[in-house]
Amino acid sequence: MISNTQHLLIFSGICIAVWLLATYLWPRMMLSVYKRAVLVKGFGDGPIPINTLYTEPQKLFAEPLVSQTASGSNLMTVGVNHDTLATVGWLDLSKGSQVLHVPDFSDRYYSVQFTDPSKNINFAYVGKRTTGTAAGDYLITGPGWKGTVPQGMTQISSPNNSVLVLGRVFVENDSDLPTAYCLSKQIQLTSL
Amino acid sequence: MSRTFTYYLAVLDGAICVYFFIRLLFFAQSRTVQNDVVQGVLIGFGLAFVSAQAYARIKATKVNGWITMFGLGVPGNGMLLRAAHAQLFPGPVNVPQEAMYWTTTGDGAGHALSGKHDYIMHFPPNGLPPNDAFWSLTMGDARNHFVANPINRYSVSDRTGLTPNADGSVDIYMQNTAPAGHESNWLPAPSGRFILWMRVYMPGATILNGEYKVPPIVKI
Repeated sequence: MISNTQHLLIFSGICIAVWLLATYLWPRMMLSVYKRAVLVKGFGDGPIPINTLYTEPQKLFAEPLVSQTASGSNLMTVGVNHDTLATVGWLDLSKGSQVLHVPDFSDRYYSVQFTDPSKNINFAYVGKRTTGTAAGDYLITGPGWKGTVPQGMTQISSPNNSVLVLGRVFVENDSDLPTAYCLSKQIQLTSL
Repeated sequence: MSRTFTYYLAVLDGAICVYFFIRLLFFAQSRTVQNDVVQGVLIGFGLAFVSAQAYARIKATKVNGWITMFGLGVPGNGMLLRAAHAQLFPGPVNVPQEAMYWTTTGDGAGHALSGKHDYIMHFPPNGLPPNDAFWSLTMGDARNHFVANPINRYSVSDRTGLTPNADGSVDIYMQNTAPAGHESNWLPAPSGRFILWMRVYMPGATILNGEYKVPPIVKI
């Protein structure tokens, strides 16, 4: 027979362990929704292959009322944002490093955010605030990567082989949208 | 999911956890180990949600009815804070130095925002949000979707041609119909409830140290 105290100990132990685990994993569970949105559902043009970037169509930005019924995941347009054009991608660095190329943004605000999906923390940024608006190439490496960074590239070390990449490019107004879109499309990924 | 709904869900969830806990303490005669495990897992999950919600409410910065949180997405911010952040700002949100976000569904007096009323947001002279990129104030309806309006304006910002008053202050008019003589400063509201989002990208030092206060929404 198990006594009441033992029941209480078993229950409390499991309760506390599950509480800690669920709290720790909460951001990971949340970001797994984004992973599915990128790799499985896409944002209207089918799934976005791993290690590639997708920029939201101009129409999605220009006609915010219509865009809400677009097929695919609506995660990119969740929340009301009429400031920046979004570019997203999901990296898997286990098969090799990736090179992020950004064009010259000539002083326009933009940022490319690198998020560790296991904790939802942004471990690096490329963009106006952190690296300026000149064109550049950035080598994104996974944990434990050993090698030489090619000349002219800046290394970004990721703590995780999985990375959520989220680009935001400022749109001044509707007539500026094509320029912003064109620049967004030039944010590109290639393998090393 | 609306914030009020989440709040009641957290309270209900908390009550269920307490109920099971009390039942366990006083009526444990007929228990099995299987009961302990199943209830431990369920209540553990429940407590994780309740504690994250409670911590989010403690750590949120509330000024003039606006809610924001510091430390979003910052490495080393701690697992409790990360779970709390996920409650109020679910998603891969920017770090504070890159962008700050404020949101509200109520006016400065705490009443729910609704297109049944007219509102003004008054920025004193030199009181627009300091930044090195841009700021914007965006309107969402009860479901946090853009609001259809005759002038296709979904946000007002440093680039939508806001007209300052004679003393340099700026008034933004949030209402369902155009404010006569103030069309340039009109942020069209739906006929029902609405939510507002204030964004400041590359925010200035006074925002990051908490000195800058976003003005309240005032019913007129």
